[in-house]
Amino acid sequence: MGYVWFWTFWHWSKEGWRAGTLLDGPVHGMAGHWDEWYRHEASPGERAAIAEAGRTPASQRRFVAWLARRWAADARWCGAHPPARVVLSQLAVLAPFDEWAAFARYRDRWHVPGIAAVVLGEASAGTADDVRTVEAICVPAESDAGTPPVVAQGFHVDPAELAAARDAVASLLGGRGTARLLALWVAAGQRPWPRPVAIALAAGWVAAAVLVAWLLVGPDPGGALPALAGALLALWGTLAATAVLTAAVVAAGAWRAGRRVRARVLRGQLRLRMEGGLTLIGGSAGLPIALNMLLAALRVRERGDAGAWLWRRIARALRAAAPAWAATGVVTADGRVHPVVLAPKLRAVLRHARVAHLLAPAQREASPRAVAQARLSTRPATPAAGAEVRLGFAAAMGALASHRARHLAHATLAAAGLRSRWQAATGALALVASALVLPALPDLRAIVRPPRAPEIVAPTSQAPHQLWLSLETRHPRDFVVTFESGFWSNRRVPVVGGDLAGRGHAAIPLARRRAVLPVDVTDGTLWVERRPRFLWRTFAPGARVGRYSLSYVSRLHD
Amino acid sequence: MTPDDQELATLLRWHAARAADEAPPPPAARLLLDLARPWWERWPARLRARADRLRAMPPAFGYAMTAAERQREGHPVPALVVADEASDGADVEAWARVTYLSVQAGRLRLRFRLEGARGTPGPAGDAFEATFVSDGAERPPLVARAVRSQSGEHRIDIELPDDLTDRWAGLKVTDRLPFHFVLHPATDAE
Repeated sequence: MGYVWFWTFWHWSKEGWRAGTLLDGPVHGMAGHWDEWYRHEASPGERAAIAEAGRTPASQRRFVAWLARRWAADARWCGAHPPARVVLSQLAVLAPFDEWAAFARYRDRWHVPGIAAVVLGEASAGTADDVRTVEAICVPAESDAGTPPVVAQGFHVDPAELAAARDAVASLLGGRGTARLLALWVAAGQRPWPRPVAIALAAGWVAAAVLVAWLLVGPDPGGALPALAGALLALWGTLAATAVLTAAVVAAGAWRAGRRVRARVLRGQLRLRMEGGLTLIGGSAGLPIALNMLLAALRVRERGDAGAWLWRRIARALRAAAPAWAATGVVTADGRVHPVVLAPKLRAVLRHARVAHLLAPAQREASPRAVAQARLSTRPATPAAGAEVRLGFAAAMGALASHRARHLAHATLAAAGLRSRWQAATGALALVASALVLPALPDLRAIVRPPRAPEIVAPTSQAPHQLWLSLETRHPRDFVVTFESGFWSNRRVPVVGGDLAGRGHAAIPLARRRAVLPVDVTDGTLWVERRPRFLWRTFAPGARVGRYSLSYVSRLHD
Repeated sequence: MTPDDQELATLLRWHAARAADEAPPPPAARLLLDLARPWWERWPARLRARADRLRAMPPAFGYAMTAAERQREGHPVPALVVADEASDGADVEAWARVTYLSVQAGRLRLRFRLEGARGTPGPAGDAFEATFVSDGAERPPLVARAVRSQSGEHRIDIELPDDLTDRWAGLKVTDRLPFHFVLHPATDAE
């Protein structure tokens, strides 16, 4: 209860905004509001309490911790918690906090490390100092007059570049960029299940592929065909359903959650900080700016909103990975990443002790081979003359992994570590197997659950050299007719056709045997047999499901 | 009184007489009264010209282009920052975005941010003498000192006459305010 005065100030600020006394909302106008309240509205008792809170460094740190953890978690404005770091940074330059040591670290930084930008200084050939820390924070929406959607602090940049990065992030969260992100994730992204499950699923796809291969080119399974077909159906069905269901759930969740975050980005304000006081020229900082905007947007989570697995995973991974990543590239409003001049930036990153990963456009100079060559040709930065420690030129450069991206979606998945070659291989195998199984589903069904045996019905006809049969069936391809006779040559012909009436027909060429047995011309038996098939492969005829005498069939002639 | 004291007294009287001889003549009472008069009484034509110019200043922010959801805009107050009154130098146009307005117990407390055209930073200055110019009024209703605060805004805190207290009591920052500013840089800040 030692900080009631801050709650008093907060409520004065909120009520002043509601009453029309204050123009800026409590978060955006924190600096001016505190200045006014502290100097002219606070009571003597409140000022004494404030002075007490700042009496020692320990008490100051307690206040900072309370504000960041307790007050920020309890206070609400415009449906969101106020960003504690923004509040601390605004208060840090005002009395009495400008004299509190505990606020010193917030005076020029928010301490939300993001992906570094590689921005060359004037006349720089690429040094470690050109790798610049970028911070981004998303401030909740307030209906403030003239509040720009993106604010750059500590550097100057073309507003169009900021707008393009913001539009790219908005598209990634809830537009065409989302579709691209989800497509990339489906093709080669890590799945939300644990590793043993992933291994089991991959093994399942391998087994399905093996079954497909066996059915296509392997030995005729004979009596085991139904079991094999059934196993393939069950296996593929389970795997495909799992894959489709997982993709659908993750995609739907990501789409919904992304739209919510996108709305926050479009309504709120994004603030960026970059050290160095530079004026950015050329647009190559677009990619790191966009990634940091995304990170800032994902950090804001409203109470009760658990978010979607994909975005939670991306947010957590970006936060953890950011200190070791740097990025460069021009970003357009639709998220495409365009090439930049890379050689000096590569040197800068290679000379930086902390950066181990570089996100760059899809250009030849960013290939692993080019990076390896640059690594060999880049010498460590020579310290200034008179420095106590002198590095030898034989000092090894740190390892640098280069990740190329054509689109912000690519870059996001790469930075979040969600790209998986294992998943890509499994996905490719699944795609090939499914491409073969899908058109073969009717064949597999016919093997596992054979269609009803057809009947030979009228009309039939017998010419001197041909016997033409009609069979009542909707699945003519699944049957063959075998003709055995002592007078005529044995024949096996497929059932073809399939008219609207659900009939197929078979045409049996008739030829007298050379060695005629003592039987007459009406001697003969027609067998209807099942014909299992898998795509273009036909297996040995299966069970005989119909038997007709030639004399019977002959009498069916209309 | 010792001889030394007498010599000292003589020396001091000599110095005083010499200073009196070298001092410029005292200004005439009329000049003193003239210097004490406010600038709009000394140069009434400038007041009229500046009032006309303030009325003619277009709105700095495209209200018509504001997104529908941004309902809270406020109305920037046109302001003229005077470079040098004595030489009638060129005035600089600016806009004062009023961020705090409170009329309580007969006192006006007001804070504003000076902005240039299209939201660019406005003229710098630690303190201004702010003349409130109202439409149709022959003389400005109020003059107050605007001091730059630690947050960068300028702050006015002044007691209002009764008629203004009654007229301005219900004003809000989102209202179109019934005054414009003519800002003279103050020579010293609080």
